[in-house]
Amino acid sequence: MSILLEEILIFGTIQGALLALLALGFSLVYGVGGLLNLAHGAFFLITAYIVYWTIHLLTSIPGLSYYPLVFGIAAVVGLSSVVTIGAVTYLGLMKPLQKSHIGVVLVTFAMAFFFEQFVKFVGDPKTHYIVPVVPGTVTLLGITFPAQLLALVFGSVILVTLVTLFISKSTIGKSIRAVSQDPEAAELVGINTDMVMMTSVMISALLVGFAAVLYAPGNYIAPRIGWGYLLLAFSVTIFGGMGSIPGSILGAYVMGYATTLTDYLISPSFSQIVPLIVILVMLLVRPQGLLGKKRLQ
Amino acid sequence: MMKLQFDWRSRLSRFRVWALSFRGGITLLCLVGLLLVPLTGREYLARIVITAMILTIFAASWDLLAGFAGQVSFGHAAFFGISGYVTAAFVKFVGAPWFLAIFIGTGWAVVFSLLIGIPCLRLKGPYLALGTLAFALILYNLFLTGTWLGGTEGISALPNIGSVFVEFYIMAAFMVASLIIMRAIVDSRLGTILKAIRDDEVGADAAGINTTVYKLVAFMVSGLFAGISGGLFVLDITAVNPAVYQPLYSFYAIIMASIGGIATIYGSIVGSFLFTLLSEFLRPLAAASLLIFATLLILIIRFSEEGVMNPFLEHVRDLWDKIRGR
Repeated sequence: MSILLEEILIFGTIQGALLALLALGFSLVYGVGGLLNLAHGAFFLITAYIVYWTIHLLTSIPGLSYYPLVFGIAAVVGLSSVVTIGAVTYLGLMKPLQKSHIGVVLVTFAMAFFFEQFVKFVGDPKTHYIVPVVPGTVTLLGITFPAQLLALVFGSVILVTLVTLFISKSTIGKSIRAVSQDPEAAELVGINTDMVMMTSVMISALLVGFAAVLYAPGNYIAPRIGWGYLLLAFSVTIFGGMGSIPGSILGAYVMGYATTLTDYLISPSFSQIVPLIVILVMLLVRPQGLLGKKRLQ
Repeated sequence: MMKLQFDWRSRLSRFRVWALSFRGGITLLCLVGLLLVPLTGREYLARIVITAMILTIFAASWDLLAGFAGQVSFGHAAFFGISGYVTAAFVKFVGAPWFLAIFIGTGWAVVFSLLIGIPCLRLKGPYLALGTLAFALILYNLFLTGTWLGGTEGISALPNIGSVFVEFYIMAAFMVASLIIMRAIVDSRLGTILKAIRDDEVGADAAGINTTVYKLVAFMVSGLFAGISGGLFVLDITAVNPAVYQPLYSFYAIIMASIGGIATIYGSIVGSFLFTLLSEFLRPLAAASLLIFATLLILIIRFSEEGVMNPFLEHVRDLWDKIRGR
């Protein structure tokens, strides 16, 4: 029983760390502009593939054999591309369609579809494997797990803290909060709302890009994986409260422990459906989520 | 007897006026063109058009709920799938004739639309969309992990309705009837009430409209037509598996309705024919086909906010007036 408890603790934390990275950006973009970004999972997908392709390209150069360096370059390339993609998506597609909310949903859905096909076309539809950059395994509390996952937890905690600090302390963060509370009033006092929304989409892309850089190594990647990550981000955001940053962090960890618990207690195939039922109950009992107040703080 | 005859004649003259008007003429032309498709004798083309016709009903049912009643649903595949499953089960395990099975399946879809509609009544905007999405996903996972009704494999090898061309006319009849009924509903008093709820729910409430009941009615009517299309879809492909509950199908409906134009009903025809034919004709390009398709999709959504049907018809009308020298 004690082993079970420790397993749930460790794997739940890992799951929660991943979910926090996925959901934070999604929630931020919704909170600031009311934009439901269905291409969020596709951002994960495209980052993972850019990292994979860059590693592939660099290892063919004879001088480069030190893997962490290669991976580092690939990660930088992947992250900068996904942030650029985020900015271009906002400027080219979301901003012109902002008035009709369904328009944003449709165009980001088409984007997600586009990236899936793009990956299939440029690469191939097969699954690929990225070698983890942190080798070996770690034993903690008697549980052994890949060391890469430890990097994921640390990376997630650091990033989530940084983004939370950025939003609560910096000038841009203050304007993000202002726009999320009242876009018109924010515009009146001289805040460039388009700029703020673009920044939040870029932060969101950066976070999901980091999720891909930290979680994809050691896992298999395939063109269809984007939808699964989108769904995870979705469910955590609803659970924690749309547009609430503490809500999505709390929601991510609660959801992480809950799915790990159902994995062990019932069966892994059933644990896919439990979050959905939790979401449904949540929507019906408390539609604004755990900490949602329609306000970003 | 006399009265009936008189009525008939006035109907006929009204029909003639409508047929000679711009929209009437275009509609009749398209209908005749559609009915001529099987005469070309190309089975492949007929198959594609059948799929497009079924998806038209599906997209129009979403348009009725989202475009007119303002209740945006992301889980329309739930109604589509449940009716498909029940239809398939009745045909396969009970041996019911397909016509009866579709009605039973549609009845189940209506029941489910109430089951989903009642709890979702208090949700608005994106929350409603996500609530319906969660419902559809739960059904998807239940059918995927459960062992009832064929489990992951689903039900397959259903009997055919008839030859492709017989099936074509049956589907065409279903499509035309469903669209006319839906258009009649949205043009009636009920449609006006739904539009009032969409535009200002508090105002509608204050004006003495029981918004709860009318929202449920909108859910039921939409579920009814989504159910019809689900049953027809399953009978067309003669198999069903849990994939019909995928969010992908819900998004297909949304995309087709908005390509044609939201809150038009008839726009769904343009949207789904464009969608189906485009994805089919790009197929020879193999790997690049879906990529081109996705790019076109992004461009259409980006540059035509009210869909392609109405702006296109306006342009054609201007041209037509110029030709006739008006």
